[in-house]
Amino acid sequence: MTLFGRRGSLRHARLQLVLAVAAVGVAVALPVVLVSVGGGVSAHELHDLENAGYQIVVSAPGLHGIADSHSLTERMLSISGVSAASPVLSAGIDTFGASGGPTAALAEGVIPAEFLPTLGPSENGLFPSPLPLGDPMDLVHFANGTYQGHATLDVIVSSPFAAAQNLETGQTLYLGPSANRSQAVGYTITGIFGVPPNLLGPIGAFAVVLPLSDLQVITGYGPAATAVVPDASDTIEVAVAGSVSADPSALSSVEAQIQRLVPYYGVSSLNQEATELQQASGVLTGFYLALSSVGLTIGLLFLALVLLRRVEADRRSIGIRRALGVPGRQIAGGIVAEGLFLAALGGVAGVVAGYLIVEAIATFATSTVQEAAQLAIFVPATLAAIVGGVLALSLLASAIATRAALRIEITEALR
Amino acid sequence: MSESRVRPPGIELAGVTRTYGERGPDEVRALRGIDLGIPPGTFVSVEGPSGCGKTTLLNLLALLDAPTSGEVRWDGRTVGTRSERERARLRLAGVGFIFQRFYLLPTLTARENVELPMRALRTARAERARRASELLAEVGLGGRERAYPHQLSGGEEQRVAVARALANRPGLLLADEPTGELDSTNALAILDLLERVRRDRDATLVLVTHNPAVAARARRHITMADGRITSDVAGA
Ligand SMILES: Nc1ncnc2c1ncn2[C@@H]1O[C@H](COP(=O)(O)OP(=O)(O)OP(=O)(O)O)[C@@H](O)[C@H]1O
Ligand SMILES: [Mg+2]
Repeated sequence: MTLFGRRGSLRHARLQLVLAVAAVGVAVALPVVLVSVGGGVSAHELHDLENAGYQIVVSAPGLHGIADSHSLTERMLSISGVSAASPVLSAGIDTFGASGGPTAALAEGVIPAEFLPTLGPSENGLFPSPLPLGDPMDLVHFANGTYQGHATLDVIVSSPFAAAQNLETGQTLYLGPSANRSQAVGYTITGIFGVPPNLLGPIGAFAVVLPLSDLQVITGYGPAATAVVPDASDTIEVAVAGSVSADPSALSSVEAQIQRLVPYYGVSSLNQEATELQQASGVLTGFYLALSSVGLTIGLLFLALVLLRRVEADRRSIGIRRALGVPGRQIAGGIVAEGLFLAALGGVAGVVAGYLIVEAIATFATSTVQEAAQLAIFVPATLAAIVGGVLALSLLASAIATRAALRIEITEALR
Repeated sequence: MSESRVRPPGIELAGVTRTYGERGPDEVRALRGIDLGIPPGTFVSVEGPSGCGKTTLLNLLALLDAPTSGEVRWDGRTVGTRSERERARLRLAGVGFIFQRFYLLPTLTARENVELPMRALRTARAERARRASELLAEVGLGGRERAYPHQLSGGEEQRVAVARALANRPGLLLADEPTGELDSTNALAILDLLERVRRDRDATLVLVTHNPAVAARARRHITMADGRITSDVAGA
């Protein structure tokens, strides 16, 4: 078997080779795209997790959220090693300017002094510090032992929102739970914050941040004066001192103390979440590869077919070699080498094609697809593993062709 | 380069038959019971009408094919029914086969064709090159080592085939109508060549031919008809 014989329908033979390489290439391109984009997105999420300003998250299953957030926060802060505990309530609200509206925005209710220490490095500089939201600990509501009323009526707005709505510091923005303007209450804009270049994050660019209890009142079940507001939040993000976060056993001890405070809520560390994310992404990679095996099977069947056809076309030459006594091993070696060569060409072509496809999507596609493609990472070891797998499987294709070559009856082939 | 390194085996065929195809109306009994002994170093011609079984017989002698029944022995050892793998091994070192249609590999040069059996035996590269040059010179193609088969005349192609058959210094040379596709001048040249190398190497040569003039060169003449040996006479 020689790759480019001088005899026979040379063009035809070359076309077959090209098609075999293309089939393997297409089969390889798919897993390359899936694995690199999937891996990139996971790595990005992991990076976000690892760069968060907090290490432990308390979250409540179900709709009611974490009750008694303010007092819980106080009690968490008294645990040694905890440096900040920031309850966060996120809710969609409607906003109104001096006239017109409503405009939907994502509102985050926070305790101003606790919020900033739980921001990661990528968000840190985006907010005015300290947060200009009046009462740093959001405790005015509880001054009389009873929870009531708007306290500061201060709000800060995101820069894209401010730009779109022509909002400036000092102006009044009306916030309400519904599109009904009469339920909205006027807030003073006390600052503007930037939005991180967050590619896949769920936070919309139209966002406002206000004291937690204010948002609780807005999203409560009736007018402030009569409402029984549950002091709920979605999560409490807990930051620990540097010495604790560096020490896994200290961290899990803090985690355990928090869990004792709230046995009915979920407490997890970001480490744990990172591990889970990594596991999930591993499972996903496996799934991608399984999915790709369909294409690989077809590509390799094609390769086997082309190798078989070449054996058929080389019947006479193979017969001559075997008649001379060339061992079957050496004839098989030639076919295997050819199969490996074609598979390697296809593998490399597939990797290059996969890379170009991802680049094209990252450049020309829109929205989330494009963002995901921009996150793609090409891990040499993974790509090598894919190509290596294809090479290994090409041995199967070669084996089929070899079997055919060694079954040729010598005396028949020479007639 | 004149001595034969591999001593030719003494060959015996005992009750050999070869039947092609399934039992029934389609079956062809190409050989119907051959008993034959060929001592080392003899020159035997095999004649007979087309279809009488000459090629079938030669293929069995070359271990290219296995008998349907009976035994093919080399020096008393039964070799004809061994596995294809073992027969290939014996063929590679012990048999030089020259085909009617030359059967050079079209993608290899003359020299590469001659080197092919040596490569299969894993002969060292330098030794291979030296012997291939020698052999090509011996068959009168010293200057054509790099030519491809399609660049050679029929006579030249067959000379390359003879050189290839001699590559591993086999003791047994088998030629199936080696001059069948050549004009009389070239045919005579090939015949002279075969006779000479046989004599130089003290090899066994079995030569199948339709041509009485060619057969006349042999020391022993076997005639076949319908799958049987009908005469077997010695003498020039
Ligand atoms: N592979 C085969 N399958 C079926 N029949 C075959 C096969 N090979 C040979 N035969 C038949 O066996 C018989 C002997 O064939 P063989 O080739 O030995 O004849 P031959 O004497 O060499 O003839 P020729 O002088 O024409 O070359 C013929 O009838 C031929 O048709
Ligand atoms: Mg014949």
